[in-house]
Amino acid sequence: MKNAKPTCLCLLLATALVSGPALAQEGEPITIGVPVGLSGANSVIAPAVVQATQLAVEQINASGGILGRPVKVVVADDASGAAGAQTAYNTLVFQNDVDVLIAMETSAARNAGLPIVEEGEKPFIYSSFYEGRSCSPNMFVNGWVPEQQVPPVVEKLMADGARNFFLIGSDYAFGRGMLEFSRKYIEDKGGKIVGEEYLPMEGSDWTAILSNLRSAGADAVITSTAGGTPNVTLTKQLRASGISIPYANLAVDEGTAKAMGADGVGILISASYLTAIDTPENKDFIAALEKKFGGEMRTPNDLSTPQYEAVYLYKAAVEKAGSTETEAVLAAFPEVSFKGPRGEISMSKQHHAPLTMYLGEVQADGSVKVVAEFPNVDPGDQCPDL
Amino acid sequence: MADRAHSLAVSDRMFTRHGTGLFLLGALALALVLLGPLFLDRFTQNVLTRSMIYAMMAITVDLLWGYTGILTFGQSAFFGAGAYATALILTHIGGGMQNFALALALSVILPMVLAALVGWLSFYHKSTPLYASVISLVVPIVLTQAIFAGGSFTGSSSGLVGYPVMKLGAANYFRLAGVALILFAALSWIIVRSDAGRVLVAIRDNPLRAAYLGIRTQKVQILLMTVLGGIAGLCGFLYANAGRIVAPEIAGFGFGTQMIVWTALGGRASIFGPALGAIGIDYLGAQLSGSMPYVWQLIIGVLFVAMILFVPRGLVGLLPRRKHSGAAPALVALPDQRQESGRDALLTVSGLRKAYGNFVVLDGIDLKVRPGELISVVGPNGAGKTTLLRCLSDGTETIEGNITVVDKDIAGRPPEDIVALGIGRKFQVASVFESMTVAECLRLARTTHERPSLWHRASTIELPSAALEILALTGLNKKLGEPVSGLSHGMRQSLELAMVVAMQPRLILLDEPTAGLTKAERTLIGEVLKRLTQNLGYAAILIEHDIDFVKEISQRLVVLHQGRLVMDGSVEEVVNSELVRSIYSGMAHD
Amino acid sequence: MALLLDITTTAALLFIVSAGLFVIFGVLKIINFAHAAWLTIGAYTTVVATRMGFSPWLSLPLAVFVGGLLGAATEIAIVRPLYRRSLDAILATWGLGVVIVQIITLTFGRDMQMPPALITGTVDVLGMPYSSYRLFLLVAAVIMGLAFVLVLERTRLGLNAQAVIMNETLARALGINTSQVRLVTFMLGSAIAALAGVLLTPLSSVDPTMGISWLIGAFMLVMVSGTSVAALALACLCFGAAQVLVSTWISPILGSVTVAVLCAVVLRLHPKGFARG
Repeated sequence: MKNAKPTCLCLLLATALVSGPALAQEGEPITIGVPVGLSGANSVIAPAVVQATQLAVEQINASGGILGRPVKVVVADDASGAAGAQTAYNTLVFQNDVDVLIAMETSAARNAGLPIVEEGEKPFIYSSFYEGRSCSPNMFVNGWVPEQQVPPVVEKLMADGARNFFLIGSDYAFGRGMLEFSRKYIEDKGGKIVGEEYLPMEGSDWTAILSNLRSAGADAVITSTAGGTPNVTLTKQLRASGISIPYANLAVDEGTAKAMGADGVGILISASYLTAIDTPENKDFIAALEKKFGGEMRTPNDLSTPQYEAVYLYKAAVEKAGSTETEAVLAAFPEVSFKGPRGEISMSKQHHAPLTMYLGEVQADGSVKVVAEFPNVDPGDQCPDL
Repeated sequence: MADRAHSLAVSDRMFTRHGTGLFLLGALALALVLLGPLFLDRFTQNVLTRSMIYAMMAITVDLLWGYTGILTFGQSAFFGAGAYATALILTHIGGGMQNFALALALSVILPMVLAALVGWLSFYHKSTPLYASVISLVVPIVLTQAIFAGGSFTGSSSGLVGYPVMKLGAANYFRLAGVALILFAALSWIIVRSDAGRVLVAIRDNPLRAAYLGIRTQKVQILLMTVLGGIAGLCGFLYANAGRIVAPEIAGFGFGTQMIVWTALGGRASIFGPALGAIGIDYLGAQLSGSMPYVWQLIIGVLFVAMILFVPRGLVGLLPRRKHSGAAPALVALPDQRQESGRDALLTVSGLRKAYGNFVVLDGIDLKVRPGELISVVGPNGAGKTTLLRCLSDGTETIEGNITVVDKDIAGRPPEDIVALGIGRKFQVASVFESMTVAECLRLARTTHERPSLWHRASTIELPSAALEILALTGLNKKLGEPVSGLSHGMRQSLELAMVVAMQPRLILLDEPTAGLTKAERTLIGEVLKRLTQNLGYAAILIEHDIDFVKEISQRLVVLHQGRLVMDGSVEEVVNSELVRSIYSGMAHD
Repeated sequence: MALLLDITTTAALLFIVSAGLFVIFGVLKIINFAHAAWLTIGAYTTVVATRMGFSPWLSLPLAVFVGGLLGAATEIAIVRPLYRRSLDAILATWGLGVVIVQIITLTFGRDMQMPPALITGTVDVLGMPYSSYRLFLLVAAVIMGLAFVLVLERTRLGLNAQAVIMNETLARALGINTSQVRLVTFMLGSAIAALAGVLLTPLSSVDPTMGISWLIGAFMLVMVSGTSVAALALACLCFGAAQVLVSTWISPILGSVTVAVLCAVVLRLHPKGFARG
């Protein structure tokens, strides 16, 4: 992490954010509430998410706001957990009375927030990838679910000749959800699971699991750990143990993979966003981030880019509905789309979004090369009742 | 609800004791929480509902840590167990009156069972407070792990959400939490001020002395932990209903330590401090931590360390402390009771040997004590006198040989069991309860005879006349309401002696009871001891250096030298023997 | 064979992580709840050293120095005033840990740091590749253990410390400057903990909360071992083996709480733990 600065970025961001946009339009501002894990497990990723929000809002305000009204952002820390989320949502919904909530959060935080969102009757876009099947009339999702992310990885590994898979995860909803789906998918495709092991999220000693992996005779390993620490400890220890079978990681972001240096090389990543995506929208997005944040810029990733797009999706929905009124906005959400860095996004399938998925491989220089592209992958039946 | 009359009696006493102020305060708080939803906005209501549930948790921590000295990081585990019991039932079985009742029952019972188990693990004879603390850290960690591993049954890291809850509405949850908090705070307040509450403080101040007064400290600790586990579970039930979500973190040790912070900052051992601490910090945190979480946590951390260092009593400690205003209880003399004497030996020691590794402290001790006998043990420093008393009063000491008290082998019995057999021990260095008054110490000495009330303080203390005499000798009977910490060395000695006599043991073990007393006081104490043994049939073993004093009062003398019992005989015999002269010749009189 | 290596290296790791805590517990009879923060500080010295362009090996002495300094400051400012309130001393060290973690976060940010590893690659042990760093840890633990014994048996400090461990009041009566022994011990313990933090960097990620995951196991091992180095080594081996076996054969999730739960039960049934038989 060559440009880590001896200051807490999130602090600067948070204080800078409360003071609204520079360009003022006519009318009452539209307020976007962003509950996010400034502290706790998500705090590594949160600054990038806040930057993405900030950029989208600045761009929107510069081009006349939404329905001619300026847009304002209020960020609240959810401490990456349920109790923090209750506080954050209560603050945003009942104290700040925001018009919409757009949030990249842990599942626990999302679950804690949902009842408050429903109680306060607000529209809510969840911009994080997750294990799937969370449904609420007020919530729309524009990140991926297992049905979208796992197939590219498995297909690539199988195309390269892998038949016996070993699955390793952190013991939490996402880790288990992803691997459960992977197991089903691999077995449907005729592959074999030779081992499936979980370590608690706080655990940092993977020795026993790696020994089991070594003796299981697997020819590929797929991991789905909690972001951050477990990812790093597992990769470091996996590499140090001399195991060299193909390694796909369902939960590593590009920045972390890069930061791992030599240990990261060769990891397969499946994502709906990679910085290497070669489209004008993505290039403009990165350039705009660089211009706005300079040295403080955080590498955009598969969590911050959907957040950026979600702000635009909200704009589109409000403009279609002609008001910020919750029911109208919710009705407009499945109808609208936005062409962003990840391509054309529309939350049209049971409150979830069909997405183009990319398979990347970490290179020796730390960059991630796109090795395959899977257009318009369907999220499957996430919320049949909606 | 059962004892309406009882609680009326209590409120009566509150009027007379602390005036109407506190009662009015309670009524005002009750009015505030009932009317609150009319003028508070939704945000404040929601946040305060949770804060008030947290406040109850802080009070449970205060009762455990502030009052009883059990530093627990694991109160969250019981909260989590209650909340999860509720959410699991409502998720997997469904809503409806019947299931709410079932959830309510289980959310209390399950944590109580868990708490009893943790209590059993944490508190045993010679367990250290540190050990209990570390165990309290392990419990939430194991529980959280289990929740994570529970997959879709427990919701793993995402927790459970979307289950049917009691549809009361935000305003009524606010009222419910408020009323529950006020009731629980009032109840706790009454209990800690009662005689039973003093037992808790006694365990905190001096668990050893408490055990040697016959108080079953571990049992009290386990019981307290179990009951408060149930209360924590109840809080969890409320939380799961009001918050409509349960997540693993509410059972985790992070939340457990947060409660410690609330309690420490608000003011431990004060009931209201921790409650206000919880509400204040949680509410303020909701306002401030949203935008700068790290600075907020840093401030709390620094404040916490500073408080522990400089203001251990917390914010409440900064308030001027009201002097104990209640009148000291009156002392009432019990009629003299002659101990039954028919038996030939009260205490029999045969072949006692005690060694620490290769270092032999006692060896080959045989001794018999009959009712009514006063036996003095003499011998130079390091002869093993104090060790002998310890072996006689604590059956868990590893020894060889046999010790029987009224024909019962004491092997394996902890001190409180031996107290029940009729042995009382006075320590060499006066061991009393530092934070209490003279009267409170005396009351505690009577715990095994009179079950202390949970609701009030008795206005009289019944003491055997010998104890009263000891108090009168040193003027302690005029200082009943004064704190022990201000007493002179000699007075503390007499107080402890009076406490031991107040237990009415059959056999009193006295380790230098008169050290620090004036010559006159000594003589008077000697008279009391003589009367106790010769007239009332008590037996006593006395360790004493002052040979003149010993000669005056003893019937028999036992000489210990280098761990061996070298002589056992009448005063005349022993004092005039060559052996004793030679042993004592090198030793200065003190 | 792999199992045996896993067990011994896991035991070595446990020993290294608990050693600093053990030293402090032995003499001062308190559990240093800031232990996790010491580990973290040690790891961050590697970050600082390598960022300044030095070899990661240099961070070993640097960590000892920084750890010792902070240990001294902590003993004088926090532990000493609370000498007679040991539970409060524990709480205060815990608060200090929280403060240190926040300061690290505010200084270095929440990001994970990736300092270069001390040793990379594998060596062949009887035909099987095994992490060379784990084997190095085994050596490090043995050296540490031997150093302990030497210091305890052969130096004035060690003898004084032994006296304080056995009976502090008596030691003071014999003219031993017990408060100095306590200070030096706390410094040593902190320095060793920081050193352990450096040794952890190749295995774990370096971030402000990295120490927490090692904390409970270390607490329990130290409580079980009491004041004997041999007992600590034995406990690490036994419970390390239990952890590896449970993780390998049953479930790593169960394995992760094995040390804590087993230690708790052992202490309940045999309160002296491993200290005496």
